[in-house]
Amino acid sequence: MSRPDNSSAPEAAPTGPGSPRDVPPAPGSFPIDPETLPDPIRDEVLAPDPIAINTSAEELKDGLNRCPKCGSTEIRQKPGSDLLVCLYCRNEWHGQRVEEEFGLGTGLDDLEGTIIASGAQNIAADAASLMSFKCTGCGAEVTINTDNAMTARCHWCRHVFGVNEQVANGAVPDAVLPFHIKKDDAVARIRQFVDKRRMFALKEFKDEFTPENVIGVYLPYMIVDGKASVDVAGQGEIETRRYTRQNGKQKTTYYDADVYQVERHVDFTVDDLPLESSTERGNLDTAANTNNIINTILPFDTKNAVKWNASFLSGFSSEKRDRDVDHLHPRLEDQLLSIARAQIEKSVGRYDRGVRWDEEDVQVHGSRWVSMYLPVWLYSYQQPGRNGGMLHYIAVNGRTGETMGSVPVQQWKLLLAALTVGTFIEGFVITFLAFAS
Amino acid sequence: MSDDSGLWLLSLGPAGAAGLYWALYRFYRNTDKSHAFEHETAVEAKPVTGSDHKINEIKGTQQTRINGDNVRAYRKRVRRLRRRDPG
Ligand SMILES: [Zn+2]
Ligand SMILES: [Zn+2]
Repeated sequence: MSRPDNSSAPEAAPTGPGSPRDVPPAPGSFPIDPETLPDPIRDEVLAPDPIAINTSAEELKDGLNRCPKCGSTEIRQKPGSDLLVCLYCRNEWHGQRVEEEFGLGTGLDDLEGTIIASGAQNIAADAASLMSFKCTGCGAEVTINTDNAMTARCHWCRHVFGVNEQVANGAVPDAVLPFHIKKDDAVARIRQFVDKRRMFALKEFKDEFTPENVIGVYLPYMIVDGKASVDVAGQGEIETRRYTRQNGKQKTTYYDADVYQVERHVDFTVDDLPLESSTERGNLDTAANTNNIINTILPFDTKNAVKWNASFLSGFSSEKRDRDVDHLHPRLEDQLLSIARAQIEKSVGRYDRGVRWDEEDVQVHGSRWVSMYLPVWLYSYQQPGRNGGMLHYIAVNGRTGETMGSVPVQQWKLLLAALTVGTFIEGFVITFLAFAS
Repeated sequence: MSDDSGLWLLSLGPAGAAGLYWALYRFYRNTDKSHAFEHETAVEAKPVTGSDHKINEIKGTQQTRINGDNVRAYRKRVRRLRRRDPG
């Protein structure tokens, strides 16, 4: 017999920097003081980051939402908001927020067991990718491929169809967070991001750079609430004395310290933790891909997500979820442990020589899972090379405008610049030594 | 300068070159970035509890930090205790 509990998650843990293993550096930090760098490099590094501009998503104008007041389909998103407005009778309304609809914002403290929203259920093995509809307008057959789209338009009468029912079990999410950042805005941000990184960029990348090719994609996530307890145990040291001894010319510093056995416990809840629910997107191994770029533009204002309505997806691409709650549980526990360790850090400040945690444990008392589509503008560039090369992304958060990217580098240029600066420093040192002796 | 000749200064050139290379590489490729969920997620924590017992004294070590310090490496997993092992 195989072990049913553990065999369900054969997922290799992502490693590389930017993976769940490494704490990322603070935003905007650069490991070297830019003032010490040559002017052109300093200017590039210090150039301003993309600024947030809030605009409407005009792309939603094709949506076939019906006005609850007059039934008209002439509906648009009101610029800069999640409101929908009827152009016929001027009625305005809000998409049903899942927060209120499912009671998601409340009761975190009372969570028990694993609560799974209907759209977050296990994906049925036979869930078809192709779904067909008969057009009520003209009788034509319209097919939607749910691997990359949730809407399609009838070629004959322009009627728009959407996968609005959760027919294929688990294949349709519970909620969607509509785009707020317009394409023009995303293009401007991507251009600004790359302008800041031109000097050492791969020549082919610069030649082929066309940010207008950016595409709006809804990516699948599980949004998780949880209630957990974490215990950790280890040793901490407090310095009691510090002294130096002269041994010939050599000065050596010695330390005395008290060693403590340290144990900590914390109970906590988390609200709206986002987890990638596609195997590919969840693989953050930076040696093999640049998915960490997309991960970095998290979080989203998931509190504003509205109940699933395919009309919001008109004009956008989408990716399908292929991970179920069971697969993602190890990832949830991992992140809960990291969150708890960050909470506990504040309580061990007196150990000025640091703490070494040796053991840790998490108990998840309860969790609540909602499947959601989140809006991302994606610009991609395929860098040729060994093993199929590398696919680089520049990603823009479709709500906040947060932008992050991976720009392929021209290795010889970068090496040359580094060696030049190194040689300059070396020359300075040699001159200094010559004078000092 | 004492008469330990300061030859170690010669390592500044190579170190500077390597440091600049990696800093710029990361600035372009951002391989070190990821979502800082520890600080960007809404967390409601009860006060941290626990115990501290002095178990030893160290005299005259040259190490500046505890061996294996991981207090800030939240994401480095350590041995998992399983108090309620179902198996
Ligand atoms: Zn109306
Ligand atoms: Zn038709």
